[in-house]
Amino acid sequence: MSSERLSGHLSVDDSARRIRNYRYAEERVMRVLGGWIALTPELTAKLLFGRHVWDCAQHADAWGRRLPELRAPAQESEPANDAIVAFMRLLETPEGPRQTLERVAGVYAVLKPHLATVYARHLASANRVYEPPTRRILMRCLEEEQRHAAAGAIVLGRLAQDAGARERVVEWRRRLLAALEKAGGITGDAAAPLIDESVLGVAPEAVAPDLVQAPPAFDPAALPADLAAAVDAHRKAMESSDEADVARWIVPAARAAVQAAFAALAGRLTATRVVGLAGIGRQWMVKLRVESARATSLIQLRWTPTPEGWRIAAGDLVSTEPLSVAP
Amino acid sequence: MDRPIAYDKLAREDRFVRMRARDVAELKVEQGLPPFPDLASRESIRERVHGIMVGELQAMEGAGRTVYDFPDAPWEFTLDMARQVWDESRHVETYLGLLEHLGGRVGEFPESTILWRCACAEDAAARVAGVNRGLEGLACDVFNQLIHIAQKIGDPIIEKSVDYVLADEITHVRMGSRWLNELTRGDAERRRRAIEFQETIDERFNLGGTRQDGHHEVVPISIAKEARKLAGFTDEEIERLVKSTQRSQVY
Repeated sequence: MSSERLSGHLSVDDSARRIRNYRYAEERVMRVLGGWIALTPELTAKLLFGRHVWDCAQHADAWGRRLPELRAPAQESEPANDAIVAFMRLLETPEGPRQTLERVAGVYAVLKPHLATVYARHLASANRVYEPPTRRILMRCLEEEQRHAAAGAIVLGRLAQDAGARERVVEWRRRLLAALEKAGGITGDAAAPLIDESVLGVAPEAVAPDLVQAPPAFDPAALPADLAAAVDAHRKAMESSDEADVARWIVPAARAAVQAAFAALAGRLTATRVVGLAGIGRQWMVKLRVESARATSLIQLRWTPTPEGWRIAAGDLVSTEPLSVAP
Repeated sequence: MDRPIAYDKLAREDRFVRMRARDVAELKVEQGLPPFPDLASRESIRERVHGIMVGELQAMEGAGRTVYDFPDAPWEFTLDMARQVWDESRHVETYLGLLEHLGGRVGEFPESTILWRCACAEDAAARVAGVNRGLEGLACDVFNQLIHIAQKIGDPIIEKSVDYVLADEITHVRMGSRWLNELTRGDAERRRRAIEFQETIDERFNLGGTRQDGHHEVVPISIAKEARKLAGFTDEEIERLVKSTQRSQVY
């Protein structure tokens, strides 16, 4: 055996420190993805996070179990420096319901590609004689981070369908990369580039089966024809601010309560759209997106069959959001 | 992110209609219908499957929050909760598939958030007692019944896929039993509060008195005693649950 085969890149202590840095990143992203699931409306992104929490947990666990073999306490995490802590805090900040793009972009277009880059470089330099235990963990984590990044790219592509959305992704990625550069990557000493595209070569078709097929979008054709006619007439009355015509569609006993529930919608509506339909026996809950110049609201109306035809028996204002999507 | 988050931050696509379970049940009773799906028709099975699908969604969201909300909990606890997130994500996929199999669509029935509210308990021990032992225990009863009905109507797709979900639920109840004990070791008051929380949930979720002791052919939802024993429930706990169903009110 040539002595060259025994040349090393990291000392035992340095290797343990680096592994604590990896564990810090994997544990943090596991917790952040877990926390975000409930805050993310889109099923595809929600289920993407749900799939990957366990993988990240296993990565953190594998790194944590390797530590005692390197004369270090088990299951300890260590950020490389304060700047990486700041990076992680920034990554975690988009938690609003309209910030799924930023959430997906931060983890899947920045952190995970960076982790794959760092793991690939470490694997290339780790000694094949005395570091196989570390190499095996690196190989597993590298392969899974590559797949995660590829799966995330597919979901991001589905979510960012217009130029404005793509611009948000670019801007958020730029901010996060700047913070990551300030930290020197997750190990504090990573060389540029922090993301090496050449290690991310997993074809989308290879990971597509990992993703949960998104159920088809809501189709207003789900409304029975006679109900659809009544709902459309009521929507038109709302859009034209014809209060008498709006009231005509509400059963008399419920008029005051429904009008009170929608008092906050006062002002000219610019558009209304049916976005959901749920059945309760012979009655239907119809959900509308209602837009004005200043806000978008969601309302739910309970339609019931009466001798005069379909009428609204109850209504709730679900939410109102000012017209701004900026993170 | 806050730890924990407010109940009303639970995010959904617009297509979901959210309502209180009590209101939905009352509206059905007013129409002369059973308050909960009785599984007597394909549409009723579809409604039950939709309810389970949103329940699995909330279970995934709840387990995810537990991973985030308790950074100082034992690492093995976090690992179990992370594993549960993954399991629940597969369950959601399974029930999305079953919904399609039954000709249904996402959002076809209202969603109630009772499960999610239980998953927001501030104490980790209360969460595992309430969600893993209370609600996942209920899931064992409901899935056992669904498998029985699938066998009866000759639907192997439902039978096989739900059986795999049931196996996972038994594992989740076991996790709950383990962590209820470990997290409350040496703290009798914390344990008492957690168990009390679970018992409150057991009583609230008796599905209007439809969950009872007895054979599938005789009662609407049979308490899955064998599955519960496999999951670590004691005979005494099962007996207590049976008694609670006898005094349960429609919620």
